Amino acid sequence: MGTVVELHPRAREEFTSSLGMIVFLASWAMMFAALFFVYGFARSKSLSWPPPGAPSLPVALPALNTAVLLASSATFARGLRELRRGHRSAFTAMVSVTFGLGAVFLGLQLLVFRQVAASGLSLGDGIYGAVFYAFTAFHGLHVAVGLAILLWVLFRSRGAAHGTDRGSLPFSEHNTIAVRVCTMYWHFVDAVWVLMFFTIYVL
Amino acid sequence: MDLQPIHAPPTSFFWKYILSTDHKVIAKQFIWAGLLFLAFGGMLAMAIRWQWAYPGAEVPAVGKLLFPRSGGVITPGTYQSIFTMHGLIMIFFAITPLMIGAFGNYCIPLMIGARDMAFPWLNAMSFWTFVVSQLLILASFGVQLGTAAAGWTTYPPLSTNVGTPGMGQTLVVMAIFVTGMATIMGSVNYVTTVIRFRAPGMTYMRMPLTVWGLWLTAILNVLFVPVLGSAALLLTLDRTFGTQFFIAGAAGGKGDPILFQHLFWIFGHPEVYILILPAWGIVSDMLSFFARKPAYWYKGSVYAMCAVTVLSAVVYGHHMFITGMNPLLGQGFMLLTLIISVPAEVLFLNWLHTIWKGSIKLPSPMLFALGVVFVFGLGGLTGIFLGTISTDLYLHDTMFVVGHFHFTMAAASFLASFSALYFWFPKMFGRTMNESLAKLHFWGSIIGITLVFGGQMVVGYSGQQRRLYDPYQYTFLSHLHGLNKATSFAAFALGLIQLVFVVNFIQSILMGKKAEKNPWKIGTLEWETDSPPAYHNFDVIPTVIRGPHEYSNPEVTKLLGRDWLSQTEVLPEAIEKDAEAAE
Repeated sequence: MGTVVELHPRAREEFTSSLGMIVFLASWAMMFAALFFVYGFARSKSLSWPPPGAPSLPVALPALNTAVLLASSATFARGLRELRRGHRSAFTAMVSVTFGLGAVFLGLQLLVFRQVAASGLSLGDGIYGAVFYAFTAFHGLHVAVGLAILLWVLFRSRGAAHGTDRGSLPFSEHNTIAVRVCTMYWHFVDAVWVLMFFTIYVL
Repeated sequence: MDLQPIHAPPTSFFWKYILSTDHKVIAKQFIWAGLLFLAFGGMLAMAIRWQWAYPGAEVPAVGKLLFPRSGGVITPGTYQSIFTMHGLIMIFFAITPLMIGAFGNYCIPLMIGARDMAFPWLNAMSFWTFVVSQLLILASFGVQLGTAAAGWTTYPPLSTNVGTPGMGQTLVVMAIFVTGMATIMGSVNYVTTVIRFRAPGMTYMRMPLTVWGLWLTAILNVLFVPVLGSAALLLTLDRTFGTQFFIAGAAGGKGDPILFQHLFWIFGHPEVYILILPAWGIVSDMLSFFARKPAYWYKGSVYAMCAVTVLSAVVYGHHMFITGMNPLLGQGFMLLTLIISVPAEVLFLNWLHTIWKGSIKLPSPMLFALGVVFVFGLGGLTGIFLGTISTDLYLHDTMFVVGHFHFTMAAASFLASFSALYFWFPKMFGRTMNESLAKLHFWGSIIGITLVFGGQMVVGYSGQQRRLYDPYQYTFLSHLHGLNKATSFAAFALGLIQLVFVVNFIQSILMGKKAEKNPWKIGTLEWETDSPPAYHNFDVIPTVIRGPHEYSNPEVTKLLGRDWLSQTEVLPEAIEKDAEAAE
């Protein structure tokens, strides 16, 4: 047996929670991996991509959207750092900005849908149409869930500030477990988007 | 701060039995849910066997009640639904909750010396999500056009709206998605709990093999159930939102049905190991416990199970040899498939070595474990014919395949579940089961299983296709009617003998003899707690100093007058020194 490093109990608890989240995200990654498998499989069997007669997808607006989502990841990470330092108001501000950017992402994504629909691609247009609409919508659903989580984080940090949040972990500089786990989810959803952007729109 | 504080147990009925976060209660909830659906799936099997014994004849007793519109006869459409739901219910709603839901939940924290799972709430959510999926399954029987009828594999185009219209199939596909969610929640918990909550001294190589099997299964579940989730999701989209992932050809679309098969088997092959790994773990432990010998080459068994876990991810193509797959790819999959038999063989030989020259005792858990060794041996050997392309071309989609996977996946995991149930019953319920009835249940089951699935293999080898409504319409199969009928009667007997278990189980829960703390004289941690254990499992988290299989050590027998040693027991110095010298 090697030497046992004794961690502070809080650190151990945080480690357990993060580990659980990593396992869960690994599982979720496999779900998206299966979707990318579908995309790769369909594409490798198709003589041309987009298939003959199907319009190609826009790149500019989705690229902007990728930037928006990446920025939101950065602000959320910053928020966690502020919380660790005990800057509560900076934390709340950063999470609010993250929420705003996430909402902008969803709005822009709807615009992209309208743009693509106007160019004549519909949901029932074989695998090409199905991959575009279903995969991006499925990802959008994850962003929407992420937004709900962000709202919850904001709500909880308010409650804790007023000392009314009995029975749950108040967010303080000492206890950032819940927020950290949320950031992990948010970064994961971002990373999936970056892959989607490069495979579905760019390549 | 104690990481696993002792909470006061809940007192109200609702928090104690319904929405409990206690892993032991959740395990029992899974047992009930699993056993009820096992009975349900079993009755569907009886219906299939009736159809094969007396095709198109009125089902006796319950026929008029169940199929009023056809005058008590199983119609071809109903027959499709019956075999589809038999497969799905047995795999996802009977074996999975029993094996993984119940014993995963019960054994993991107790055997590694934890007070509960890492995420107790997630655990409770896992069970109730599972209940939702069971309700979806039940609901699917009540809708117009009936429940799913596209086979348990749910291949498109048969499973699309064109092949199987109606709400039933959609509900079932959704139920699979939901049950997948429940499985993932449970597995995240298992994986994390084993990594983080092992008691001091409980190193990986001191874990009981049961825990190893359950843990590796949880890892496979975490990684591959989501792939099934994706497949179910896309199929639901095809059925309800008009996408065309899998719809093609005459069904009118530009999708690719083979794509679904890939997704399904990327999940589906790990799935068979998901169901068998806990069984392997349980059997490895039982053989050592009741041969009163240390498990032979414990580490070898662990490595073998790990190797199977890894390999199980890269062999799925052997389900698709006849889909027009590139022959070179097919050969690759064949090679990998056959390589899996090497670690499986290591495990098997370890089992034989473990019982070799042991002082074998034969209580019911041991009998069931030996039964697993027998049926898994049969099933494993016949798998080689299916993994080899040249023979698989002929055997594909015959009853031989059905017999093979029933021996390995169904019979082995069924027997292992019962081995576990008889073994941990005193711990779970604090009472003892009737041993004579348990042995009767075993002998009835093992003989029934061998005859039923052996019969399936024989007719399959004679060319009978699986899933035929009336095989005897075909001249070349008509002579198999007698054999099929005999097999059916064996199946009815197998079904009936389960009633012995039902009686024994209910009776023992209500008025069985009070169980002792350690009725089997076993050294693993769960036997150091009371039967049933307190809400927090251990008053003091135990400190582990040795492996799980310390039996028949002559020094210990001389010193303590018994042939077993618990994982935490500190021996007087003399003997410890001897042990160290021996190492």
